[in-house]
Amino acid sequence: MAGLEILSPEGLRLDGRRSHELRKIVCKAGVFSKADGSAYIEMGNTKALATVYGPHEPTNKSKALHDKVLLNCQFGMATFSTGERKRKPRGDRKSTELSMIIRRTFEAAILTELYPRSQIDIFVQVLQADGSNQSACINAVTLALIDAGIPMKDYVSASTVSFVNDTPLMDINYLEESSGGPKLSLAILPKSEKIVLFQMDSRLHMDNMEKVLNLAVKGCKDIYTLLRRTITEKAEEASQFVSLTQ
Amino acid sequence: MALDGDVTIVVPGERLGSLEQFAAGNGTYSRHGYVYSSLAGLKHVVQGQEKQTISVMREEQESVVPGVGSVVTCKVTSVNPRFCKVSILGVDSTALKEPFRGIIRKEDVRATEKDRVEIYKCFRPGDIVVAKVMSLGDALSYQLSTADNSLGVVFAKSEAGATMVPISWCEMQCPKTMAKESRKVAKVQSQ
Repeated sequence: MAGLEILSPEGLRLDGRRSHELRKIVCKAGVFSKADGSAYIEMGNTKALATVYGPHEPTNKSKALHDKVLLNCQFGMATFSTGERKRKPRGDRKSTELSMIIRRTFEAAILTELYPRSQIDIFVQVLQADGSNQSACINAVTLALIDAGIPMKDYVSASTVSFVNDTPLMDINYLEESSGGPKLSLAILPKSEKIVLFQMDSRLHMDNMEKVLNLAVKGCKDIYTLLRRTITEKAEEASQFVSLTQ
Repeated sequence: MALDGDVTIVVPGERLGSLEQFAAGNGTYSRHGYVYSSLAGLKHVVQGQEKQTISVMREEQESVVPGVGSVVTCKVTSVNPRFCKVSILGVDSTALKEPFRGIIRKEDVRATEKDRVEIYKCFRPGDIVVAKVMSLGDALSYQLSTADNSLGVVFAKSEAGATMVPISWCEMQCPKTMAKESRKVAKVQSQ
């Protein structure tokens, strides 16, 4: 693209960040009182909303699992979330794939065997999309599940990384995402550094994989710090409220 | 993140102690010789026989589950000659967030003349019933009983759609059409 450089010679990106910097992240847990758990997250201009209901009785008895909880996940993008208005916010092939990806990611993190013959519903909605939508949704669902009090092994933090001019880029936005470079989405359990989601588009030489992967892991850990701070602040608020009433 | 004294707030994934010194309680799990938290909440350490037990609790521990002997409020969802299915909506004076499933068998409707009970003369779909939990039943439903004077139907609508008035232990009357319908009526005490 003439006049548009993903990475300038001075090492700055289009929005002024360096290659290893995250966009500004704002997160909030407990935004809906009707849901068992809910969370809102902004990663730059990407905004996602997640709600969690359950554990409750399965709505479809034939699908209930006798030894572990059944996770039901629904991902949707608002029609106004992209530059061109979407015709179908839910049910297209991409949304179905993302729903399955989120479900599988959290099946690995939730202690599923504690709730046999139960169901947990997760609903995620992207209100504004500006790249790294998948990572924003996964981070929002993590906050919502912890807000709902569902036992988990660890936080799940996710980040998206690209590779341009021999340099990995952290937390890519829409322009960087649509420029055709490789895109790696990674979600890990930060304490044990186990990978629960690994997804890659486009071509990347194997020699560069380690650089890209290391930056993605570092991004996940930075995001984990922010998520943890959010939950800790909320827990302290609840704790002080209880101590005042006693 | 210590608040007052030794009250500690923990988050999922945080390592709480070694399995040699502690046992894993509620809200925690053990892996590779260590105890980790699985909930965001307060850490509690309780002395056991040999080891101390670590558990993590949240403040909003208000999930009520029907137990044996609980008096529950239900709504009848379906009726067949042997039993009727109900949806448990509340336990004692607490409303449940999610309904549970229960059944009232023909033999448990009343204490006298068990063999002459006809379910469709005792309950109809949509009735609100007060019952007592007899057992947890099979894996799918609680087993309930209304074999007491204070248990039975407390609210019912007639075929004309009006709320019926109880006139005896086995009959209710529609104030609009004056038609009488059979029900196993609860003798409601004023509380």
